[in-house]
Amino acid sequence: MSVESRQGRWADRMQGRWVWAGFALPGILWLIFLFIVPFYVVLSIAGGELNAIFQSPEPIWNPLQWTGANFVAVFHDLVGQTAFVGPIFLRTVVYVAVASVLSLLIAYPAAYFVARYAGRRKVLFLVLLIAPFWVSYMMRMLAWIGLLQTSGYINRALLDLGLISQPVNWLGGKPMTIILGLVYGYIPYLILVLYAGLDRIDQRLLEAGRDLGLNRARTFWRVTLPLSRQAILTGMLITALPMVGDYFTNQMLSGAPSTAMIGNVINSQLNTASQQSKGAALSVLLLVFLLVPMLYYVVQTQRASREAY
Amino acid sequence: MVFHPREGRSGDGSTSVSRRAFLTGAAATGLAATLAACGSSSTKGAGGTTTTTQPLALPRPNDPVTWPLYQSNPAIADGLQPEKNATLKLFNWVAYINPKVLKDFGKKYNCKVELTTFNTMDEALAKLRSGQFEFDVFVPTVDVIGQLVASKMISPLNHSYIPNITQAWSAFQNPFYDQSWQYTVPYTIFTTGIAWRKDHVTEDPYASANPWAFPWNAKYKGKIALLDDAREGLGIGMLKNGITDLNTSDPAQLQTATNSLLELVKLVNLHIDNNDYSSIPSGQTWIHQAWSGDMAAAQNYMPKGTSVDVIGYWFPPSGIGPVGNDTMTILANGKNPVLAHLFLNYLNDLNIALENISFNGYMQPLTGVTPEVLVQQGILPPSLTSTVVLESMFATGLRELELSPALGAQYQQAWLRVSSGV
Repeated sequence: MSVESRQGRWADRMQGRWVWAGFALPGILWLIFLFIVPFYVVLSIAGGELNAIFQSPEPIWNPLQWTGANFVAVFHDLVGQTAFVGPIFLRTVVYVAVASVLSLLIAYPAAYFVARYAGRRKVLFLVLLIAPFWVSYMMRMLAWIGLLQTSGYINRALLDLGLISQPVNWLGGKPMTIILGLVYGYIPYLILVLYAGLDRIDQRLLEAGRDLGLNRARTFWRVTLPLSRQAILTGMLITALPMVGDYFTNQMLSGAPSTAMIGNVINSQLNTASQQSKGAALSVLLLVFLLVPMLYYVVQTQRASREAY
Repeated sequence: MVFHPREGRSGDGSTSVSRRAFLTGAAATGLAATLAACGSSSTKGAGGTTTTTQPLALPRPNDPVTWPLYQSNPAIADGLQPEKNATLKLFNWVAYINPKVLKDFGKKYNCKVELTTFNTMDEALAKLRSGQFEFDVFVPTVDVIGQLVASKMISPLNHSYIPNITQAWSAFQNPFYDQSWQYTVPYTIFTTGIAWRKDHVTEDPYASANPWAFPWNAKYKGKIALLDDAREGLGIGMLKNGITDLNTSDPAQLQTATNSLLELVKLVNLHIDNNDYSSIPSGQTWIHQAWSGDMAAAQNYMPKGTSVDVIGYWFPPSGIGPVGNDTMTILANGKNPVLAHLFLNYLNDLNIALENISFNGYMQPLTGVTPEVLVQQGILPPSLTSTVVLESMFATGLRELELSPALGAQYQQAWLRVSSGV
């Protein structure tokens, strides 16, 4: 082989390497401009001060000069005698936990059905599952307000069926309404992730299980479920994280302080200029808290991929 | 009655944000809000450098304030011609001016009028501080005038362009928050009272011993709401306990109000929102702390077949209750100061004002805007004349005014606790 052609190949290889690396560029830019920069701004505001005249946040850009005052204030809101954010935080965790479990109970059979039994109609079912996204979340919530009103269709149907004797005030600040709202809002994501995971399971493994004498239930228990564990984890994470920060569902379906979640507190703070830096600090603390399940997920994923080889 | 914009603004209105909203449903995400705040933190943008660290004066009816004038921020000269081929840019609350009034003004002065809206005063100020906008006319609340003057964001007025000020009630020709109306003309006025559904609620606040305690009634659990506004919410908590200084700096009084409100949260599973104008007509709530202007517009939101007469609005006949007003100002970096002056003058003319009120619900403090005129012109149903703001109410009424930053933070914190229910 001539020297020239060898060099040519080397150049090709290098060029190829840069071209492939270049594909990461849009993603990296996206991360920098839409995550890292804004997050730095949030930190600068959380570590910043208030403008003397406007009482609006004055970000401090130099990390060495950041003050901890807002974090201290938020800490006192979280724990201690005058704390009110702490109980709300617990309430949020409970709502999200119940909503996540409910979501899983509904989503798993749905995804399982589409992956295993939908056959030729798989595409149709997938399209139907994505269909809710054609209408914006806000519009769907508005529709629910109409349906759930005292004189709405849901109450009328329940009355006609004789299940209730008095119309239920669904929008009167009921935790159940909020939880169902969260389930409704985020379940399509969970179904799609579970479907992707279940669909990927090698059918031959199931057949092997059956050949080795497992019945349907035990095949599911011993083969399908363990193999879909990673999908469950991913799906739960993808739905639970935004649920924790959700304020809109609450605002639409309740509006009562008795069901306020952490997102509502942050939203209130961000809507008042003088409270914005505290809101920023609380957001940062929430993010730190949410890093825990995130890290767990990363560790689990790595372990799973190691086991796969 | 013209079509009211808050109809259709959002289905049944449950999400839409009333102009004085603190929690904005449709507003940007938290991050975007933070970013907006960041981008606007420079105070240099809007035409002046702010070096003052001295605390701003806090105007009170018994302690009126004359704001300083600056040589670097003069009023326009007398006798100028309106700008040619101009577009007057108005920065106003959502659904807070009749589009027909804007169109008529454009026809009269041969210009275009461009309306940009905002949902909260904080949002509006953040946008203005960024210095990237050249609005001519701005509609601030009374409590931010000091900031606007100190940062030279608004220009002093040349009174020779605004002869219609003589149509305004005398108190507004020399208001305590801006003596000699150097920077502002009055815009809308309102009271804060209690709206209720007569067809569902058997009690009548007018017959009640302490009407401010009207919402504290467990019988109507889940059907009671307060306005989502720190000052209004804490205000009713104070009034219920007989505290009439709504700007109190006494921590014990603030605590009393907060405790009453927290008790209310549990007692009736309280709602907090600014949808009084739609949720009382729709029957979603039966008792709602309300702004007079929102209830005056309630007839636009009644479901088919329900008469507006089922709605009542209570404001103390003694006149001792929260009253307020908004103002109109001219922004220093606007390009059409002459047209802006003419616009302020135009809005203070009785006929124009009536046209505006017919759309807005919110009244303007002009001689000639009386309950009789409003009912006669079909602007107001006879059953809701209690929403009319009378000149005398500004002598007796209670005002929620600007607080010192430290006290303001205490109020915000107290309200955050109430709206979190803990």
